Amino acid sequence: MTGRDSVTLCPRATDGPPGSGGPEGGGRARAAVPAARLRGLRKEFRGTVALDSVDLDVPAGSVLGLLGPNGSGKTTLLRLLLGLSRPTSGRVELLGQPMPDGAATALPHVGALVEGTGFLPSLSGRDNLTRCAAAEPLLASPAAPAVDAALHRVGLAGGPDEPAARRYRAYSPGMRQRLGLAAALLVPRRLVVLDEPTTALDPVGAREVRGLIHELRAAGTTVLLSSHLLAEVEEVCTHVAVLMSGAVVAAGELETLLNADSPTLVVRTTEPGPALAALRAAGVSGSYPERGSVVVDLTDTAADLVLRVLVQAGVPVSEARRRRTGLEDLFVQLAEAAG
Amino acid sequence: MSVTARPATRSTAPLGRLLRSELRTALCRRRTLVALGVLALVPVLIGAGVAAQGSAGTGRVSGLITAASGNGLLLPVAALAATLDLLLPLAVSLAAADILAGEAACGALRGRLLAPVSRPRLVAVKACAVCVVAVLAVLVVALVGLATGAAVLGGAGQLLTLSGSVVGTGDALARIALAVGWTALQVAAVGAVALAVSSVTDHPLVVVASVLGGAIGFGVLDTIPSLGWLHPWLLTTAWTALPDVLRDPMPTDGLLRGALLAAGYLVVGLVAAVAGLVRREG
Repeated sequence: MTGRDSVTLCPRATDGPPGSGGPEGGGRARAAVPAARLRGLRKEFRGTVALDSVDLDVPAGSVLGLLGPNGSGKTTLLRLLLGLSRPTSGRVELLGQPMPDGAATALPHVGALVEGTGFLPSLSGRDNLTRCAAAEPLLASPAAPAVDAALHRVGLAGGPDEPAARRYRAYSPGMRQRLGLAAALLVPRRLVVLDEPTTALDPVGAREVRGLIHELRAAGTTVLLSSHLLAEVEEVCTHVAVLMSGAVVAAGELETLLNADSPTLVVRTTEPGPALAALRAAGVSGSYPERGSVVVDLTDTAADLVLRVLVQAGVPVSEARRRRTGLEDLFVQLAEAAG
Repeated sequence: MSVTARPATRSTAPLGRLLRSELRTALCRRRTLVALGVLALVPVLIGAGVAAQGSAGTGRVSGLITAASGNGLLLPVAALAATLDLLLPLAVSLAAADILAGEAACGALRGRLLAPVSRPRLVAVKACAVCVVAVLAVLVVALVGLATGAAVLGGAGQLLTLSGSVVGTGDALARIALAVGWTALQVAAVGAVALAVSSVTDHPLVVVASVLGGAIGFGVLDTIPSLGWLHPWLLTTAWTALPDVLRDPMPTDGLLRGALLAAGYLVVGLVAAVAGLVRREG
């Protein structure tokens, strides 16, 4: 894997499904056991309840975005999932293993970047990663090829003045983040947990990480990421869970959540007045004008009927598209409901 | 990449690889190297001082130093006695502080726990690394002491014991080796206690302060006569037995008691370190 392009993030999990089944097949084969399962999870810190009655499944093969305002318990949830701390009550399963007791079985297949990156400032990036590699159960000795591949994958290796040779102390926040990702990807994983993976990155770096998440998913790896960047979650995730004040207030497939609201059709036209009149005459209710368009409620009406009515009435239609609830709208609704 | 995914099998990284990794980190730290360098200076300074004026003194250590005049083979033991009070504990507690509390503070400890390395195993490899630092520190003092003694103080390959007898080179080297082993055990015991403190804090400074505060506090307790019952259990009090290796015949009671006491501190320290790390939120 060392001969790879040094800039683009191109991982390929070699523990992907065998044969020609492809990533999709692999995802389906593992779908029986969720990558992670939380049941009735509760965590208190000296009387403060950080998480309460959390039930959550991370389906195998999914990319689940964990959303929530600061202090909602995202990191606490990830730490419990990874066995870094013990729940006050409730059950945590990671890759089918109870946590934290099953850590030795589950964690070798899990790559994680939580609570920022943890490296020794006095060592170079490469030495730090070599140190991490020494502790990876699934990594064969010598670890140097895997370390090199991981550094290339995140764009820290290569060139005469490669960043990997510099001390971690001198790294920019973006480079630190990349090294953290490299550590999470040292071994092909079944689950990768990323806590705010793009926070410190510039737009190019953030796009590379999104590309990396897509490629992990294509290789059959489940990805669980926490973020407060709604657009990012909307772009990369298949599933979403929203955490508010320590409780999961919404969870499920992204599409389902976004379409849960009444669907609407936005018809762009230069003549909104006649359009509304025509729709009303045809008995279509719940339409209103909006900036050079007409918005039609599709709860009781089919989209093709709306268009037929408008075209037959001679209204010029330049564009018609379905409007979904944005993740941001959903998030704000949930926040208001919870607050 | 020769990686095979074996789902649902318990697996862990090879112990040797993990230990080498911890050792490389501990020994390549600049702090560790500086500490070893400072320790190497002590016998040189003592040797130079004794050679310059044959200083007079009456204390435990300064008496030993005086005895080193023209008696080069005594210098390693004198240097060990001089550093055991403060510098050797300081060196080993620095290493113990960095290896757990320091790594917890920068987040590197989390990486180990997530790899995963089980917590008792992690304490075991880190304790080994701290012990290696302890042994190295003691060896540096003794070997530089030996070289300085031979170069500056002389003694014609013979050791004039504190009892007044003269023993040959072989006997003297055996006594020095005993002093090295015994002192290394004492320093390792301090390291184990430091590791225990290190396992429950994120602040390396707390570890160093605890060890130095403890050493000084024990010294104070030792001067309070009404606490006589406590004195045999103070590790620092046992350290007064080190010059016994220079007596002829060698009284072994104090040395043996000191060794057993250090072994006790070592075990208690390691158990406390495992307990501390197991209970710690990673």
